[in-house]
Amino acid sequence: MSSTIEVKNLAKVFRVPEKSPGLRGALSSLFFRKFREIWAVKELSFSIQKGELVGFLGANGAGKTTTLKMLSGLLHPTSGQVQVLGFTPHQRRIQFLKQISLVMGQRSQLWWEIPAQETLKLNKEIFELGDSEYQETLSELVEVLELQECLDIPVKRLSLGQRMKAELCAALLHRPSLLLLDEPTLGLDVVMQKKMRQFIREYNQRYRATILLTSHNMDDVVALCDRVIIIERGQMLYDGELNRVVERYAPHKLMTVDFQSVVDTERVAALGKIVSNGGSRMVLEIPRKEVSSVASRLLSQFPVVDLTITETPLDDVVRRIFTRTLEK
Amino acid sequence: MKKYFYVFSLSLQQAMQHRASLLMDRVRSVALLLSLYFLWSALMQNQDSFLGYSRTQMLSYVLCMNLLRAFVLSTHAWDMVGEISSGRISSYLLRPIRYFGFCLARDFSQKVVFLGSALLEVFLLLWCLRATVYFPGSWRSVFFFFVAVWGAFFMYFFLAFLVSSLAFWTSESAGPLFCFELLLQFTAGVFFPLDVLPPYVQGWLHVLPFPYLIYFPLSIYLEKLPLSSILHGFMMQGVWMVILGWVAAGVWRKGLRVYMAEGG
Ligand SMILES: Nc1ncnc2c1ncn2[C@@H]1O[C@H](COP(=O)(O)OP(=O)(O)OP(=O)(O)O)[C@@H](O)[C@H]1O
Ligand SMILES: [Mg+2]
Repeated sequence: MSSTIEVKNLAKVFRVPEKSPGLRGALSSLFFRKFREIWAVKELSFSIQKGELVGFLGANGAGKTTTLKMLSGLLHPTSGQVQVLGFTPHQRRIQFLKQISLVMGQRSQLWWEIPAQETLKLNKEIFELGDSEYQETLSELVEVLELQECLDIPVKRLSLGQRMKAELCAALLHRPSLLLLDEPTLGLDVVMQKKMRQFIREYNQRYRATILLTSHNMDDVVALCDRVIIIERGQMLYDGELNRVVERYAPHKLMTVDFQSVVDTERVAALGKIVSNGGSRMVLEIPRKEVSSVASRLLSQFPVVDLTITETPLDDVVRRIFTRTLEK
Repeated sequence: MKKYFYVFSLSLQQAMQHRASLLMDRVRSVALLLSLYFLWSALMQNQDSFLGYSRTQMLSYVLCMNLLRAFVLSTHAWDMVGEISSGRISSYLLRPIRYFGFCLARDFSQKVVFLGSALLEVFLLLWCLRATVYFPGSWRSVFFFFVAVWGAFFMYFFLAFLVSSLAFWTSESAGPLFCFELLLQFTAGVFFPLDVLPPYVQGWLHVLPFPYLIYFPLSIYLEKLPLSSILHGFMMQGVWMVILGWVAAGVWRKGLRVYMAEGG
């Protein structure tokens, strides 16, 4: 077995009790529970090699988190095969658990009332790390994540960003060779997001760790992933290079411009397609290659107050791919 | 092994952080202790013995019950139920630690704290009442008593783990545990020694695991049981331990299959 992750025809069905409305519904559901089946993941197949950094994308409810939970052994698949690092995840073998980490934005493994330091020490014991190994990794992580002041404060008093960093520190203490990240930049400010990305990239290169990450943030994906897997309603939509997706479905960047006063719409339109027009604030769609030249022309020809360039929102890209596939 | 010891010490720290809730727990125990004490005193006002218990024995039953309850019947089962239904248990399932051992270590920390506090309560009460307690006439009884306490400890742990595991199936997971705790207090002999009940009820109860949690060890301590009954009791403890442990493990495994890992 050469791949780090090997998934074949993976499916997960959730059976949820159906609620009929009203008192009668509530009463009848006391005796007859009707169940509805939700196919969170359906016929998913892919494989990931050691050392890859793959973006795992899809709209809300597409089944990303569910897949990550199956890969980490939290959920038993309804059908299909999963092999991760040569193990069947849901058997939860010690040797398997020692090599992976799943980090979920809204889930914490830190003990709430006591300083993060204590959870780190607990993890040292749980993962059976040697003293020197532990000290080395810890000081490294503390430095890179700038955690110096955060470790001896009760976790409940940390800010969201500080907690995320402490969370990551706890998750990486055992240097997992497979890292599953579920929306690692959710809720972080722009500066923190950037640092987080840098850190993820570095971890991937330094330890040749395999990383699979989900995100709704196009910046994350563009900065980190060469390869993306896009799913929709639990099924594969695209698996391949990010470049090709960007070329085909996100050939433009968005330029938001604030003018000092209301300007002539037609003159602006000559520079690029206007997506929204609020008088003194306009959003333009500019082909990637022309971004810098258009920006300089805007600045020289118009009384510009502010100008920001952003990626096409990831969810738009996914939607475009989806409609395109439907048309085929 | 060291990891479980660390869980124990961390839980101890956590308990110290939750001083208010610890205090509330103990206030409840003391209230129970006092009301039982006054109830039995009132009942025994004009007689030296009541239903086969002398004053000293009855007082000893109540006080020892407080200690045993603190040690045997204390648990973090409510936390386990919460962790399962909220999905917080995921964070333990993802790490190379056995949740079963984790719970055992965590429960043990609570037992230590509760027992310490219960000892204090009992000594205070003894001092206030200037009463004497019964002490077994032979060291053999003391030894059997401790064996029975450990048997009760494991039986209760398996039982609580089993009932908490039901949270995998029902979202109203407080139900089973709540009923279980209520029923348990009665049938284990917390409120009264079980031999005040009619014999046929006693007969039925002794087929169940509950009397072996509190009533059985206390009867050994008060030297009310002949050797044959003690040995029979140990056998029942052993049988129930195996059955409960086996069922708990099975239910847990089945629970993980249906676990939805909600949240995140
Ligand atoms: N425990 C559960 N019980 C029932 N249905 C669930 C459960 N978990 C997920 N689902 C359903 O499965 C589908 C996939 O959910 P999942 O959390 O995997 O989506 P996602 O791709 O992570 O979405 P998002 O980007 O919003 O995080 C959704 O329709 C969701 O409602
Ligand atoms: Mg998700």
